[in-house]
Amino acid sequence: MRKGLKLTDILVTIVVSIGFGILYKLWGPLYYAVKPFGLHVDQLIYGMWFIAATVAFLIIRKPGVALLAEIAASSGEFLMGSEFGIEVLVYGIVQGVFAEIILMAFRYKRTDLMVISLAGISSCIGSLILDFYKGYIGDLETWNLALYIGFRFIGAILFTGVLAIMINKALERTGVTSLLRPGSKDDFDALNQ
Amino acid sequence: MHTAFHSKENWLHKVNPSFKLICITLLFLFVLTIHNLNFMIMFTIAIALLFILFTGQSLKRILLFLLPFMLIFLSTALSMIFFGKGETTLFKWGLVHVTEESLFRGIHIGFRALSFALMGLTFALTTRPVLLFYSLMQQLKLPPKYAYSFMAAIRLIPIMIEEFQTIRYARKVRGLQSTKGMNNILKLSISIPIPLLSQSIRRAFRIAVAMEAKRFDSSVKRTFYYKMRISPYDFIFLFYFILLIGLAYFIAFNHPLIPVTDVRY
Repeated sequence: MRKGLKLTDILVTIVVSIGFGILYKLWGPLYYAVKPFGLHVDQLIYGMWFIAATVAFLIIRKPGVALLAEIAASSGEFLMGSEFGIEVLVYGIVQGVFAEIILMAFRYKRTDLMVISLAGISSCIGSLILDFYKGYIGDLETWNLALYIGFRFIGAILFTGVLAIMINKALERTGVTSLLRPGSKDDFDALNQ
Repeated sequence: MHTAFHSKENWLHKVNPSFKLICITLLFLFVLTIHNLNFMIMFTIAIALLFILFTGQSLKRILLFLLPFMLIFLSTALSMIFFGKGETTLFKWGLVHVTEESLFRGIHIGFRALSFALMGLTFALTTRPVLLFYSLMQQLKLPPKYAYSFMAAIRLIPIMIEEFQTIRYARKVRGLQSTKGMNNILKLSISIPIPLLSQSIRRAFRIAVAMEAKRFDSSVKRTFYYKMRISPYDFIFLFYFILLIGLAYFIAFNHPLIPVTDVRY
């Protein structure tokens, strides 16, 4: 096998992620629409911005896919003229790197809810680190900061973990994922008979 | 996206896309080091001038673009203003505690978000995505298989939107349009994206097979239809920022509007 991603992997990842990029672009106004409810309720839906990485990884299951997906989704959002501007690109790269680290730590072998949620949580930590510098969130009142971080973690697990797994299950039922994954051991055994 | 709007082309459109991208990414990092509210406001004005004067958009459209920016400014600033740390109380009502420090810090963050939004939109309005990826291949040595995949994916956006419409019509014809009740909304949020995603994956797979057959994944030296270069416009772009940020710095520190030097607590 050749090293690295094949063109098929890259194109599928990018197409799926650009699709998520469109969703992200629509997610921005929604994020601002729920913000006036106050007390960081908006943070509950922040997790959607990490989902491209885990969905793409669940489809392709190769090293580098999560990072590429998050970069592609954020650049799609950026080129469509996001209200967040250049910020999305930098956040996207950092979130992608953080998700990739977790997946790498499990050697890209595990695809269960726990590891996928951990990847989401890791992206979430990446975004919080940037928020610490960009939004001075360290200077919020302590109870308020706890609420902010807590809600974002919950959102990360719900969207990046649970929703991504649900999407992947539904996609597997449609049969498209078998186009992209290398044959399983059963397939090879069937050939050997 | 640029292709959606017809605008006047001027020097900003001719700046090398990779160079433009690197510049605004560096400016993003630079903004993170600004903790002085006066400087932040002046910096935002410098970016706003670039956006208003040189993106080649009509005044009407610029005002239209500025509308959501005001919303961003407010919503970014408000939670820091209401719940930020500070000592000099201005207003207190229940959980809300506005202090002088948190007020200025909130406004600072608001201006930050505004300047990022302006930089991003300026880039998006003056850069054709195809030229961006050609330039990334030529100036920054991005492997062609990534760049062409991006370009192909961007071309698929209108098809995805069309397909989204088709799915909606198909559901309507079958009488599945009701969006009442939490359960229905949940069902809707899964039943529309899944066919969209699976069709996109199938299409991407077919395109990838065709592209591999045409050797788009080869690493042999390619020739390019669009030749991207560094031009004098890039220096104008760089000088604009050096000049105006210098000016912003000068005004902010010699004629400060607000007697705050550091918004951090």
